[in-house]
Amino acid sequence: MNGIWPQLRMSLTLYFRNRMAMLYGYLFPSVFLLAFYVLYRYERVPLVRYMGELLTVTILGGACFGMATTLVSERERGVWRRYRLAPIPTGALVLSTVVARYVLLLTAGLLQIALAMALGMPLPVHPLQLVVAFSLAALAFLGLGLVIAMLADNVPAVQALGQTIFLPMLIIGGVAVPLTSLPDWALHLSAFFPGRYAVEAIQATVNGAGLSTVGFSLVALLLIGVAACAAGAGMFRWDAKQRIATSSGKGWLAVALAGWVSVGLLAQWQGRVIPMELAAERAAIASAAAAPPAAPTPSAPAPGEPANNPSPSSTADASPAGHTVIAAPASTERQTPGASPTTAAQTSTPSGLITPPAAAAAPSTTAPIAPWEKVTIEQVMADLVFDRLPPDAGVVTPIASTAQDPPEETWTDLDVMYNGLQTWAPGRVPDILTRTRNLLFVPAVVDVFQLPMEAHVPLMVYETLERDIDRDVLIRVLYWIAVNPDEGSDAAVDQMAPLGLPNGPSDMQEVRGRLGIYAVKLIGRLTGARPAR
Amino acid sequence: MPPRVRVSDLRKQYGAFEAVRGVSFDINDGEIFGLLGPNGAGKTTTIECLLGLIVPDGGTMEICGIDARRHPIQVREKVGAALQTTALQDRITPREALQLFGSFYRNRLPADALLERFSLMPKADSPVDTLSGGQKQRLALALAFVNNPELVFLDEPTAGLDAHSRRELHAEIHAMRRDGHTVLLTTHQLDEAELLCDRIAIINRGRIVATGTPRELVARSTRAQQITFETDQPLPDDVVAAFPGLTYPGGSDRRATLHTNTTGPAVLALVSTLESRGIGLHELHLQKASLEDVFVDLTEAEPAERTT
Repeated sequence: MNGIWPQLRMSLTLYFRNRMAMLYGYLFPSVFLLAFYVLYRYERVPLVRYMGELLTVTILGGACFGMATTLVSERERGVWRRYRLAPIPTGALVLSTVVARYVLLLTAGLLQIALAMALGMPLPVHPLQLVVAFSLAALAFLGLGLVIAMLADNVPAVQALGQTIFLPMLIIGGVAVPLTSLPDWALHLSAFFPGRYAVEAIQATVNGAGLSTVGFSLVALLLIGVAACAAGAGMFRWDAKQRIATSSGKGWLAVALAGWVSVGLLAQWQGRVIPMELAAERAAIASAAAAPPAAPTPSAPAPGEPANNPSPSSTADASPAGHTVIAAPASTERQTPGASPTTAAQTSTPSGLITPPAAAAAPSTTAPIAPWEKVTIEQVMADLVFDRLPPDAGVVTPIASTAQDPPEETWTDLDVMYNGLQTWAPGRVPDILTRTRNLLFVPAVVDVFQLPMEAHVPLMVYETLERDIDRDVLIRVLYWIAVNPDEGSDAAVDQMAPLGLPNGPSDMQEVRGRLGIYAVKLIGRLTGARPAR
Repeated sequence: MPPRVRVSDLRKQYGAFEAVRGVSFDINDGEIFGLLGPNGAGKTTTIECLLGLIVPDGGTMEICGIDARRHPIQVREKVGAALQTTALQDRITPREALQLFGSFYRNRLPADALLERFSLMPKADSPVDTLSGGQKQRLALALAFVNNPELVFLDEPTAGLDAHSRRELHAEIHAMRRDGHTVLLTTHQLDEAELLCDRIAIINRGRIVATGTPRELVARSTRAQQITFETDQPLPDDVVAAFPGLTYPGGSDRRATLHTNTTGPAVLALVSTLESRGIGLHELHLQKASLEDVFVDLTEAEPAERTT
């Protein structure tokens, strides 16, 4: 089509002459990135987990506000009316406008990535796929921007419409607030917005397994983008005098909406509304709850019980005999004692706390696990041997005494953790078992990393648990966790950022081992069987 | 040679409001044709229909031999236009704008030639938002010529300009005729139409009420002549009643105007009547009707028609 190229070149030239546009287009994304960098400064690898959100916000702003504002203000002033006197087809102008904006978004995205890499982020794992994901996200949001521009009769209307889409998408659309922190109704709603698909697709190419794992998101972005672009072209208005209310093209809005609705329904139908990590966590809880009460207490399961537990990987720790393994890892085949030299050399391993069970030798046994509700206090007191726990002043699972002040250099970190704990999503889940397990992971992770503040973290967590959970319930739950450290989700270990902690140590067995010991130590305190120093 | 523009029975309605109600006119090769009418008469709607910016409800339009309703893009290729309420991006320069818009046409004039011709060279590389009103209007004209058009449409080209800029623009339009361009211009200013146009169509409330050269229109007027006089005393009622074409405010006023198309007998009758009543005559002027009179007559008759 005649004139597309000169028009594209001129759009870009004019954009770079406009200081305000430069401010919005490049400075804001950079500032946003730096803000994230500061906010998540405790991450081991800076920014890598937030590139999906950062790039999506850049696209969202540039398309919903940047492009729509330019289009509408030019239309209001009569610029489009002037173009219309020339023999240039509507499609050519729309196309060159959208492509120009795409080029700008792409450069802003590259700037963000370059900046992030300068701050220490490695090159995205799938750079070419990143371009694909970014482009599809841009398509979806540019289409959205076009629709906004055609719906709005003037620039203030763009701001209003843009905000009504921008803010919800940011907050409950999975863009600025992670999906795992959202309630179910918001998750269902977010499935109708392109935001979460954009974040997911981009993130998968930055530090994930690439585009092959996010096919649905790509299809969703494409569908939303194509529908919105078609609607935008169909609703195109040259003249500010043509108001949307009287415009003949407003029926095209249905096409754009159909794109969103069909993506949302498709996601519901395919069961993609709940994000995978959240679904996994819930499945674990569900399977624990669904375990049949065939074995009334952990001490007496029937050895020949049929295998009806859906998570067969780690049921070996339920012992058939009178004593139970606590923090079994060292006694199972998954981790040899030598794998963790500090532990083995300096203390008795957790397996030494309790008589080694016969079942440990046969990990393939799939006896069902009784739920924690079946645990009795008597059983707890009968089973546990507290005097063989590693000392609180030792290297493994240390706990400071209340009289001991934390070293000054840890104050900031402890402060961050204390504040983080108040709102930490995994520590607030309704399920008591999961919540307790998640919270106990905090001192366990700190201990494994041997951070300077390690001795002061357990008290903070214990306090939280004692404050929120009834003593007897807590004891039974702690016992269940100590007996079944491998049961349940480990997702919380990878959500430590709000607490100022690096994520997941690679050796999960070690973390689960510490989890068990901290659980038993707290039981000791709660029951008075092993008072605090 | 067939007319450059042939419009017949053009109609456009916005809801219940009929903006254009059966407009027909021809524009011949090389002439400057003026659509003259008060604001809201349907001038802009007519031009926008011709350019394909508005889809008319009825009628036929042929421009340079092309059916304008079927092939609006082909029409735009041959027509240059400067419309009201068009603008350019603030930061674009006149040179860039002329190059950009030139690129949309198959047939184009070099930007330098247009900058020279419309005296924009000194501002060629300044952003458009630093141009004066007159310079902006000259740039709009230059843009209308970017495709070396066979036909030029100018919608209210001098609206909002100061006297000096208007004179400059009038000179430009005269130059267009000298260069053999065919021009359709709309205006609500009579002096402009009289000064610039070879032929005029007066449009009012969506209808053409008269077409012709300015001279023809004046000559065709029913009140071709105007007699203005001043007496030494107010006119008695019976005298006023004796002259049907007399406009007299009444009361103590001593000035009156008499419209007539038989000047000689009218003057004779007036003078002899005043003489016989002993009314002294201070002043008496004979005046040919102006285009303004024609315009006012034609456009003021309408409201009455509408109320009936």
